[in-house]
Amino acid sequence: MLVARGSRSLAIFRPIASELLPLTTIDHGRLQSTASMQPSADERGEVVSPKDSQAPQGGPQQAVVPHKKRPYSPFKPTNTAEFALARVDDLLAWARKGSLWPMTFGLACCAVEMMHMAAPRYDMDRFGVVFRASPRQSDCIIVAGTLTNKMAPAFRKVYDQMMEPKWVISMGSCANGGGYYHYSYSVVRGCDRIVPVDIYVPGCPPSAEALLYGVLQLQKKIKRMAKSQVWYRS
Amino acid sequence: MFHPGGVHGARHIAQSLHHVKNAIRGTCSSKLLMQQKAAAAVAVESKKGTVTPPPTGPAPTAPAAPNSVEVYIDDKMVMVEPGTTVLQAAALAGVEIPRFCYHDRLSIAGNCRMCLVEVEKSVKPVASCAMPVMKGMRVKTNSPMTRKAREGVMEFLLMNHPLDCPICDQGGECDLQDQSMMFGSDRSRFTDIKFDGKRAVEDKNIGPLIKTIMNRCIHCTRCIRFGSEVAGVDDLGTTGRGNEMQVGTYVEKLFASELSGNVIDLCPVGALTSKPYAFTYRPWELRKHESVDVMDGLGSAILVNSRGGEIIRILPRVHEGINEEWISDKTRFVYDGLKRQRLTQPMLKNSQGLLEPVDWEDALSGIAARINRVPGQEMAALVGGLCDVEALTALKDLMNRLGCETLCTEESFPMNAAGTDLRSNYLLNTKITGVEEADLVLLIGTNIRFEAPVLNARIRKAYLHNNLRIASIGERVDLRYETDFLGDSVHVLAQLADGDHKYSEILSKAKKPMIIVGSSSLQHGDGTAVLANAIVLADSLRSKMSSNGDESDWKVLNVLHRHANQVGALDLGYKAGPSAIKQMQPKVLFMMGADDGVVQRRDLAGDAFVIYQGHHGDKGAEMADAVLPGAAYTEKYATYVNTEGRAQRGNVAVTPPGMAREDWKILRALSEFVRGSSVLPYDSLDEVRKRLAEIAPHLTRYGQVEDANYFRQSKDLVWNAARPGHSGQTLPAQQRELEDFYMTNTISRASRTMAKCVTAARHQKSTRYGL
Amino acid sequence: MSLIQKTLNLFRAIKQNGGILSSLKTLYVTDDLKWGTHVGTDKYGNKYYENNYYFLSRNRWVIYNPDFHLDYDGSQIPPEWHMWMHYTTDKPPTVKPPVNYKWMVPHQENKSGSSEMYYPYSTTRTKIESWQPAHLRTADTEEQNPKLFNIPQNNRIGVQ
Repeated sequence: MLVARGSRSLAIFRPIASELLPLTTIDHGRLQSTASMQPSADERGEVVSPKDSQAPQGGPQQAVVPHKKRPYSPFKPTNTAEFALARVDDLLAWARKGSLWPMTFGLACCAVEMMHMAAPRYDMDRFGVVFRASPRQSDCIIVAGTLTNKMAPAFRKVYDQMMEPKWVISMGSCANGGGYYHYSYSVVRGCDRIVPVDIYVPGCPPSAEALLYGVLQLQKKIKRMAKSQVWYRS
Repeated sequence: MFHPGGVHGARHIAQSLHHVKNAIRGTCSSKLLMQQKAAAAVAVESKKGTVTPPPTGPAPTAPAAPNSVEVYIDDKMVMVEPGTTVLQAAALAGVEIPRFCYHDRLSIAGNCRMCLVEVEKSVKPVASCAMPVMKGMRVKTNSPMTRKAREGVMEFLLMNHPLDCPICDQGGECDLQDQSMMFGSDRSRFTDIKFDGKRAVEDKNIGPLIKTIMNRCIHCTRCIRFGSEVAGVDDLGTTGRGNEMQVGTYVEKLFASELSGNVIDLCPVGALTSKPYAFTYRPWELRKHESVDVMDGLGSAILVNSRGGEIIRILPRVHEGINEEWISDKTRFVYDGLKRQRLTQPMLKNSQGLLEPVDWEDALSGIAARINRVPGQEMAALVGGLCDVEALTALKDLMNRLGCETLCTEESFPMNAAGTDLRSNYLLNTKITGVEEADLVLLIGTNIRFEAPVLNARIRKAYLHNNLRIASIGERVDLRYETDFLGDSVHVLAQLADGDHKYSEILSKAKKPMIIVGSSSLQHGDGTAVLANAIVLADSLRSKMSSNGDESDWKVLNVLHRHANQVGALDLGYKAGPSAIKQMQPKVLFMMGADDGVVQRRDLAGDAFVIYQGHHGDKGAEMADAVLPGAAYTEKYATYVNTEGRAQRGNVAVTPPGMAREDWKILRALSEFVRGSSVLPYDSLDEVRKRLAEIAPHLTRYGQVEDANYFRQSKDLVWNAARPGHSGQTLPAQQRELEDFYMTNTISRASRTMAKCVTAARHQKSTRYGL
Repeated sequence: MSLIQKTLNLFRAIKQNGGILSSLKTLYVTDDLKWGTHVGTDKYGNKYYENNYYFLSRNRWVIYNPDFHLDYDGSQIPPEWHMWMHYTTDKPPTVKPPVNYKWMVPHQENKSGSSEMYYPYSTTRTKIESWQPAHLRTADTEEQNPKLFNIPQNNRIGVQ
């Protein structure tokens, strides 16, 4: 009984904990059940007992949470050909993520935060992110604001005009799922009903920092693209 | 000339048009007219609501009839029969007079005063719904006086009506809303919003179906009149007078009627609304689909309202031949049963003998593998009462191609003598409207109140207004009108057939007698005797009628089926009753919608393979080795033949859930997997219907009743066969009390609303007020 | 600001980062080279620095654990340090330790994109409730718990 209750409370807390995290990215086609998400004790960093962390942490301190050294490449090739192609993918991803040009698609108040991201304080240029005014020059679109039914066809057209590979960042509650206007008669309940979304940035509106973090997450996602390896394996 | 908006307005126009049509056909009888005259007179002098004959008779004609009088509606002359009310005359002239309390199918109350019109030479405005026309009367329906009168009445009504339209479920189909827009004042003199402004009335709890918000009541008394006239349940009434008047049940009790839901449609305001539908959608948001009901054998016309792939509510449609404008509570509220216990994916038993979900291809090939091992003679099919004709045809074609001839329905029917070979043996031959012409009805072994509530309402109507006499044989049940109870067993019927019962004389004097045999009595051991004696009795009554010089082809014998498509199955040549299956002990049994549990595992061979196709998980799916999810009646284009033999079409309101498919399509797909050249030769609905027309042309003549007339031959066959004996046991009523009414088939058994009704009815019975 | 001071700062930064080579590495990883007081280290081994010589919002910064290499991420900063980094508090957790309540969930970095990522699921009731064969039913269905749903037993109809 005790065990059952314990696992149940975990099941309740676990999603909430994850939701509190600032961002969620979804890898399309990498679905997994929630059951497999139960973290092991060390991964959750539970070695820290409350008592320990309450103690003053003065001075330089060693890492308490054990972790592995993280390699640059996310790929784990098994033979020479794959190794070579993994490097090709790495190179492609490096080029792509280093010059992410988003299509400006400001629809509502979120667009103001998007402007802040472009301004010197957050300065997206340092990540190679430059707004473009034409879909044909962009490889990413930031849906910043409420997508209305009237705008939806135009949005889809703009998306269709973008070059492959292309990505979509859905910014703010309205673009994520209709948000405040979910029950309105004229609003699309989430831009993912129109286009496939890669990054959802929560918030109403999300801060420029959150959006920038979203862009960084997209860069990470691009880094995981393995097109040539997929081609080789298929 | 004005056009009140909204659904109700449109309906009234439709009704008045109908009246005109009737009138033109010249179907009105002088007897009815006399009653109408009396009705108007009674209604004018008192509002006591005593026996008031119907205003429902055919309306008077515009031309024709020598004794018609001329009336001027807005200076337009119309010729009407004397006794017509001003309101009806105006309808003939194409003028719709606003009304709240007046309803075509209820008696005239004349208490809402909304229908006030100016009549020349009359000092005061006149309530047109209760005023009979007089020669040369000049009515002004749009004069300043009329308009002022309406505005005044509207102001009085709105004085106590709460301003809660934004949260009221009637919004959008509210007569008060529409008519206040049309005829009300454009400003309010109501200022006292602080203190004792509006009347406050306690809400009544009258059961799990009807939600009451009595503040909104405008005392039109339509619900009360419906209860006492149509449903025959005097539960509702008024207490208090003037501003203190309240509509209610006196003590807190259930509105114990199987037709109670109709008061929701009748209520012109939002005082009585539907509980299951409460706060879901506005009427204009819903999609409407015309369809046919399957809860009983009548096939009432319904309007299925859906939104977002869900059925939101079911409303009646007007069909004068079947349900007028009433439907039973089961028809109206069963729809939540379509969302529960559904079969949504094919299932097949695995190696451990447990059902597990599979995809269509695996299911069909698995079933075909089993079928292919068994010769056709060792297969059988059993169908339930909810299956549509298309599916039944596909199943029969498939099984016949496999060499199987044992196809049975769950409901049995006596097969001696002519059995189901003569169509007239198993139809409601005089049609439902025959009740209005009949002068005597003999009910045999049926609780018609619950087996066909709408038909019972019609019998009650004829009982009230046409002096219809009703006699009954079988278990004694409360039908909400007086019956001559003759006895509870076949014995009495046999005596009547032989003519040596004291009631025989009354029967033989009847000009248009009807014998209604309930199909539930045919399930009984004495069923054979019931039908044989009924055939003999009917024939003797017919010969008496013709010897009295009655030239009309009045058919006396009627069978009332309880299932929606039993007649369709019999028309297609299905054998009635599972006895053939029990004898042969089949190795493969294909059950389609068979959920009454008439065939159990023990009736089959030990290793029998049972396939169940249907829409609900019930007794059938419980015992199956393979489950194929089909579509329910709101999810397919389907044909149903009602107990009269009237083929009707149901339409798709929502798509079948999950992997479920239309039934004939499943069988068509299965036919590609089974052995030999069994592929069914139709790929589309049109082709299936073409095949239907090949088998029996009447199945695609929608809306028409296909007559059958072989009574003489049928009786000769009965005569030639040995007269079946009988045990003399009581013919039991399958549905005895209100609580038995709600759950009769697999859909209603899955419905939570129906379960609540059963609980409420049981609870009501346990209180000291009883049912 | 004079050129001398800037040069001085550069030398201080190079010194703090441990020589020219490792300074270049820091520059490669963080695109920045600064010097300041080491305020504390968190449980992941990230080091926090402060130097009010730099203007506000640049005067507090983190050097992530070198093991993270280029895979560092804002979510790797625990909440107590996050507060200090964002000027919610003036005192770092080394000075004013955070209160630990038992309802607190251990901090975890953003797992998006990894095998442990959060995947949203629906908690709304399905529109259609499917029938389940007996062995798959849970006790919540009404066949096994009729009282829960007020389903009457021994329904006479349908039983022949």
